[in-house]
Amino acid sequence: MRLTREVFCCIAAMTHWTLKLAQKLLLLTSLAIVGALLCATMVRFAPGYGVDERELDPRLSQASRNAIRSQHQLGGRLFSYYGAYISGLLHGNLGTSAFLQRPVAGLLKERAPFTARAVFLGLATAWMAASLLSLLTIRWQNWALEYSATAVTGLLIALPTAVVALLCLYLRAPVFLGIAAITLPKLFRYQHNILAQAYARPFVLAARARGVSRNRILFRHVIPVAWHPLVALVGVSASMALGAAIPLEALSDSPGMGQLAWQAALNRDLPLLTSITLLVTLLTVGVNFLAATPQERSL
Amino acid sequence: MNAQRMFRLLCRGTLLFIFASGLFAGAFTHYSYTHQFRDIPNTAPSAAHWLGTDALGRDLFTRIVYGTRVSLLLAPAAALLATIIAAILGGIAGLRGGWLEKIILATADLSMSLPLLFVLIALRALLPLDVSPILSVVATFVVLGLLGWPASLRVVWAASRNLRDSDHVLLAQALGYRRSQMLFRQVIPCLRPIFLAQFWISIPIFILTEATLSMLGLGVMEPLPSWGNLLRGSEDFSAMAANPWRLVPLVVLVLTVICFQFIFPGSEELA
Repeated sequence: MRLTREVFCCIAAMTHWTLKLAQKLLLLTSLAIVGALLCATMVRFAPGYGVDERELDPRLSQASRNAIRSQHQLGGRLFSYYGAYISGLLHGNLGTSAFLQRPVAGLLKERAPFTARAVFLGLATAWMAASLLSLLTIRWQNWALEYSATAVTGLLIALPTAVVALLCLYLRAPVFLGIAAITLPKLFRYQHNILAQAYARPFVLAARARGVSRNRILFRHVIPVAWHPLVALVGVSASMALGAAIPLEALSDSPGMGQLAWQAALNRDLPLLTSITLLVTLLTVGVNFLAATPQERSL
Repeated sequence: MNAQRMFRLLCRGTLLFIFASGLFAGAFTHYSYTHQFRDIPNTAPSAAHWLGTDALGRDLFTRIVYGTRVSLLLAPAAALLATIIAAILGGIAGLRGGWLEKIILATADLSMSLPLLFVLIALRALLPLDVSPILSVVATFVVLGLLGWPASLRVVWAASRNLRDSDHVLLAQALGYRRSQMLFRQVIPCLRPIFLAQFWISIPIFILTEATLSMLGLGVMEPLPSWGNLLRGSEDFSAMAANPWRLVPLVVLVLTVICFQFIFPGSEELA
């Protein structure tokens, strides 16, 4: 009887959690689609939309010019564009780039690995450096180390993203190092604050009073407490890294998604910009969701 | 007076001086930021031109001083706009709750899920580029203000939600305070430090974002100077190496942002 009740409770909890997960996933997907369609609306009403310089080509016949105009009129009816885009999306068709005259899916497939690699390596480097720096400052509680770390990160945080991109270009450094340099100072500050708050808790003070070694305090008492907020930082840092990748790739001419987004925005390329926005939003909300899930489950 | 307080005072003094130089630019230089000395382009620093001239023969010191005015007066304006939006929406979401709270938070989540710089670049690129310089300044900072609120909204929302359940608000409700009385006597005074903190935090972020946008050619338009568009030529590394004083706008910008980070006491100091 007791076993049956436990099984029933377990099934009920799992069903509840699965339903919550499905609800959350649906909300996140809807948010991403709404974001992409909002972006499409912005492009549609932007000055210069629908102007195609090919229309100025004297070699083209009137029929060709009409065909070009009718291509743009597809995007002119915004709601029909929304419908066509979502229907295409469900069939795996993201449309054709008006600027590059190539299928958007192919372009994304071609460019995404460059950005994904740069963002991943940049994030990994930033996380390693920030974790090492914050752990060292918390472990040693040394004012010289603390001030040096604050000075270095304070200087990095005060540099505009475009200047970091130019520095990377000048030093011939890969894009991921630029992403790491932009993400590192913010990550260090968040991590340091989270660890310092955990270090100031009464049980840590009690452990210190009992003469427990600093390493043991750090790894047994501080990090387990700070673990969940630190994991939640992954989502925030992914968003920061994606944001940094755009100017970095645009200025250093790296063939990634950032450069593509930049070109799409400047050329009013509706299908391309909508799909990039959708992908970036999905990636960001997905990472944020994954990072927040362990925290929600622990509550 | 300990070292931290001294350093904080130094930062405040530096910021005050930079602000004053932008505000009273005419007292620091007698040139116009558009005046071209056509016979001396790219000249080195001299007594007449303290930081030399740019490629078009304009006095660089004058352009930096007037650029300070643009960057340091409009970034706070954008920060104020973002804080007001965050205060209104965050306050409504936190105090009212219900479906309105859900809609506001979902909108903030949607805005935060897109990297700010990505949206800014897309939105600014969609606005006409051949606008007058003054209009480009207004467009840049209004766009910054309109898009920079979601992070502040989360903070205001959390604080006002805590306030909704606080004892003194409950007591005020029980005493029959009107909504306006409650808002102006109980809620706003309690949230004022949070609004101020969000306002001060946003200023350096907007200064840096404007610099990046202007360096990409999407921010403040020439001939109006801003710290960002003064750095536009910095991709020409050989020219920069030959004329290192052209990096002065970057030094001023970095100094300002660093000073903004240290003008308020840290949490350890407050404790």
